[in-house]
This record gives sequence, C-alpha cells and structure tokens, in this order.
Amino acid sequence: MSTTAPVFSLEADSISKSFESGAVSIQVLRRFSVSVRPAELTLVAGPSGCGKSTLLSILSGLQAADEGRVRALGQELSGENSRTLERFRLKHTGFVFQGFNLFSALTALEQVELPLGYMGLSRADIRQRARQALDEVGIGHRGSMRPAQLSGGEKQRVAIARALAKRPQLLFADEPTSALDAVSGQTVIDLLRRIAVDHGTTVLCVSHDPRLIQRADRVLAMEDGVINRDWRPGDTGSRPGMHSDDHTGALPFQGDRR
Amino acid sequence: MVALARKMLLREWRRFLPAILTVCFAAMLLLVQAALVQGIFGSAAVYVTASAGNLWAGYPGTQSVSLGHPIGGDVATLMAMDPEVDAVDPLLFVDGYWRAKHGGDVEVYVSGVDLQGHGLVFHKLLTPALRQRLMEPGAVIVDRSDLDQLGAQVGSYGRIDGYPVHIVAAIAGLRALGGVNMITSWNTATGLDHTAGYTTYWVARIRDSGKAAQVAQRLNHHSDFGPYSVWTSSAFARRSQLYWLLDTGAGVAVLFLAAIVLLSGVVIASQALMAVVAGSAREFATLNALGVGVRALRWVVLELAAWVGGLGLLLGGGLSAGLLWLAHHNDVPVAMSPAVAVVCALSVMLLAVISGIAAMRALLRADPALLLR
Repeated sequence: MSTTAPVFSLEADSISKSFESGAVSIQVLRRFSVSVRPAELTLVAGPSGCGKSTLLSILSGLQAADEGRVRALGQELSGENSRTLERFRLKHTGFVFQGFNLFSALTALEQVELPLGYMGLSRADIRQRARQALDEVGIGHRGSMRPAQLSGGEKQRVAIARALAKRPQLLFADEPTSALDAVSGQTVIDLLRRIAVDHGTTVLCVSHDPRLIQRADRVLAMEDGVINRDWRPGDTGSRPGMHSDDHTGALPFQGDRR
Repeated sequence: MVALARKMLLREWRRFLPAILTVCFAAMLLLVQAALVQGIFGSAAVYVTASAGNLWAGYPGTQSVSLGHPIGGDVATLMAMDPEVDAVDPLLFVDGYWRAKHGGDVEVYVSGVDLQGHGLVFHKLLTPALRQRLMEPGAVIVDRSDLDQLGAQVGSYGRIDGYPVHIVAAIAGLRALGGVNMITSWNTATGLDHTAGYTTYWVARIRDSGKAAQVAQRLNHHSDFGPYSVWTSSAFARRSQLYWLLDTGAGVAVLFLAAIVLLSGVVIASQALMAVVAGSAREFATLNALGVGVRALRWVVLELAAWVGGLGLLLGGGLSAGLLWLAHHNDVPVAMSPAVAVVCALSVMLLAVISGIAAMRALLRADPALLLR
C-alpha cells in the first residue's frame, strides 16, 4: 500500500460496478468518481436501487469495484486481498447498519468491547474505551443491558458506540435511522454529526431520511448510478469535490467536473 | 477479549440444544456399545481374569481359553522348578452338553479346579464356602443368569453327557460367551473327560508380577516337556477376547456401527450448528465489516463446536454411566476400560470438531456487503 498525506479522506476514481441477475447484467455504477473530506458528515441520498449502498460498500472496502481506483486515508484499496482489507477496516473504519446486528447474548458493554478485543488492546484499554463510547452516545448507564432490554434507539446507539470505540477515521452508516422513531432518529443523526465534528472522523452516511439532509455538511444526491446534485445544506452554493463521468441520462451536476 | 462462544452458549442454550443432544446420544451409543462389547467378549477370558495366576501354560497356538487342548503334567513340574514361580494349579477344561429336565441340550463349558491346590483358578469367584460345597461329587456352580437357560435352579440335578451333576450354587460374574460356564472340582471334571493324566492348563503365580513376561519367555524355551506354550495372563486374556471379537465378525460390526454413529452425529450436529451460526450471520457479518477476520470468526465457530462437544460428552457420559450401572445390576455383561473410554471421548470430540468445521460454511452467509441495502 502506498501512503500519501490525504486532502480527501476517501476518493473513488472512475469506479464501475455491475451485478449479474440471471442472464442480465445490471450496471450500478459506471466510471464514477467522488472525493470525501474528513471531519464532515457526508450524506449520500437517493431512491432505492440508485447505487448508493454499492458505493458505500466499495468505498469502505467491503466490496471491490469491477474497475477504477479507490483510495482511503491515502491508501490504495483497489486490488488488495481480503486479509489486507480486513486489517485496514479493523484499524480505520467503523460501521453502523440499519439493522443493529447486536449479539443477543452480550450486554451493551460487551457488544462494544467485542471488536476491540481483536485490535490488540489491553483489557483495561478495552474496558475504558467501551465505557467512554457508551457514555458518549448517552447510554453509559445501560451497559449491563442485553439487546432484548433495549429500545430500538438504544440499540442503534450501542451499534454507534461499537463503531466509535474503535476510534475510526472513517465511519460508514447505512440507513442508520430508518428503523427508528422520530426522536431516536434525531438522536442518531446528532450523534453522527457530532462524531464527525468532534473527532475529525469522515462520516459517510447513506440514507433517504430527509431529517439527515438538514444536519449533513454535504449532500450527494444519487440517481441511476450517478450523482445529480452535490450541495452543502449550510451554504447557499454547491461545492466541488466529486463528479461522475457518466453522461448517459444523468441530470446536470451542480458541483464542478474534473 | 469477550468470550463470545461461551456467552452465546450460556445465554442461548436452547439454540444449541439439538447439537448438544446429538453429541450426547452419539457419546451414549459409542460408550454403551463399547461397554457391551467389552463385557460380552470379556467373558471369553473370564477364566483368566477371575483367576489369580500370572502365567498360563496351554497347548501351543491356543486362540482362546475355551479352545484348549490337553498338555502333559510335566509342564507343571517345569513351571514349579522356576525360582520365580510360587504356586501352580491345574485347570481342566471340558466341553459337554447339559440335558435340561424338560428337553433340549445346552452347551456347557466345565472348568475343573483343584480344591486341594493353591486356589489360583477362579480365585476371585470362589469363596472358601463355595470351594467347600464343590467337594461334593458332581457339584457344579453356575452363573445365576444362566439358570433360566439351563431350566434349573440351585439344588437342581442334571446330566452332562450322561454324567450326573448337581447345581450347588449360582453366582455372578461367570457368564460365558455362547454357552454356559460351570465350575466343578477336578475330580468331577475328570469324570466328564477321558484324557486321563492330562490337564488343559497349568496356572502359575510368580513372586514378582512385574517379571511375568520375562518368566514366560524363559519357560517357553524347553522342548523336552511335550507341546506347550506359556503366556502371561494379560496376553492370554487379550488373545481370547480378540479371537472371539474377530472370529465372530463382531469387531468389524462394532467398528462399522461406530462409524455410522459418528457419521450421522457429524451430519446432524453440523446442521444444528450451522443453523445457529446462520442465525447470527448478520452479527458475524458486522464483526467482519468492523475488521474482525474470517479466520477469527471461524475460531469462534470451532470454539462453539468444542463447547457443544464437551457438554454433549459430559451429558452422554453421565447417562451412559447410569445405564451401565443399571445393566451391571441386572447381570447384563458390561465392562469399560479407561483406554476405551478415552478413545470414545476423543471420537466424540472429533465428531464435534468436524461438525464445527462443516458449520463454518454458514459463515459464507456472513458477507458484510449483504448487510448494505
């Protein structure tokens, strides 16, 4: 892996991805490029099937693109084997999924401690980090509870604490609020935003929850595998940093094209 | 490190119950089968194992105690002359047919013991009182579980090949393989046998039991005493058991059955484990997304399998012990040596580990990319 000082923490350069469905090949992403900055909550929004989750899985190293290059924290991920990608994810990334995916046998504290145990940390470090993460998401007092004793919002906060305790530079969230009620959803949104701002973490979130748009630093609106709008809700104008080379039927970009 | 496998097992034991019970039943089948085989075929050597001798002299090439041929009385002199030998007793082994009162013949193996000798033969079964009762001409002792087969009771009279005998006692631990064992006096046995002046075996006790093999080897190097061979008691007992185990085909049948038990155990236990792992596939996938390697996740599955194997073995072992105790108290021939118990336990753990390896396939469903909608 080559390492350079990153201006953007995540970069995709002309990536393409297609899936086979029987005899039909479905092109999800075609020569797609995007760059994401650290310390921001970047939201990828769009309708179901537009390719936003595929984009997330490729940028996070969960899936390989058919072609193109992906750089994360200045490291080239394209072409790396699964072992190397696992090591990269262990060291640098956190994930929050729509389903909370918590082991029903473990307490909230143990859920958070579990991945830390594979990072080579001491027992005391693991315990301290786990408690700190649970406190940060506001459920430190619920550490001894198992998933069956927690509400949906609390479970998602445990899932966020599990990701946060790793102190990742990259945090990926896939529809983190869609299974939650309005209050819990708002809490999760605020947490993700705070993690980006307070920890300098690159938070890339995929969602179609309109509440998230208001809280995101940057929004990438996707449709049919291309980004048709890139803007900052807090700004009056749009900002550079991404583009798609897909010219087939895409709506005009508001961001710059490289 | 959070002990994920152990905590899953403790909190979600119901999900693991089918796998644990499968291992438990496999352990029970193996252990009970092994105990029955050892018990049944161990009876082929009851003459040796219930006696106090260290050395047995018999006809060369004798495969089993019950298949002995006569050897000369000089062999006893040879054995007695060895400085290590402390005592020598004869055992006259006679085949015959018991004529039951209400018709039908039963094959009997009559062991004639020297009541005036050193009491080596059937030392563990014959109390002084029983030896006293054998003094009566025609007196025989049988296993209590064989009374029904003989159609007789203690006190019954009968005939063996026309020779009148009288059942004076019924004891435990004398059951035979394929017939009925009877203990009688040397004098009564010679009345049934026509090879006068010969005996079937000479049984010797030596001063230092640790030297049995050495003395047996030393006694085997004399060609002037007619055809004979000397074996240590353990070697002769093993020789007898193996003969019946292999000659009857039971050995192959036992191995075949054990293989079927293990194979079916692997299939069922692995399916049950796979269901558990597949049930937590999303959680495992999340761990993998967070960077926990597939290899580490496989270890968790293997650890789960080992716990399932250990618990199943514990449960199966306990139940088997209960069953074998019950069998023993109902005169069913069962026996268990530590070595065989260890082999059974290792086989069961191997079953669990193979099931765990097979269950790892369920981790294929734990692809983190599939968590993204």
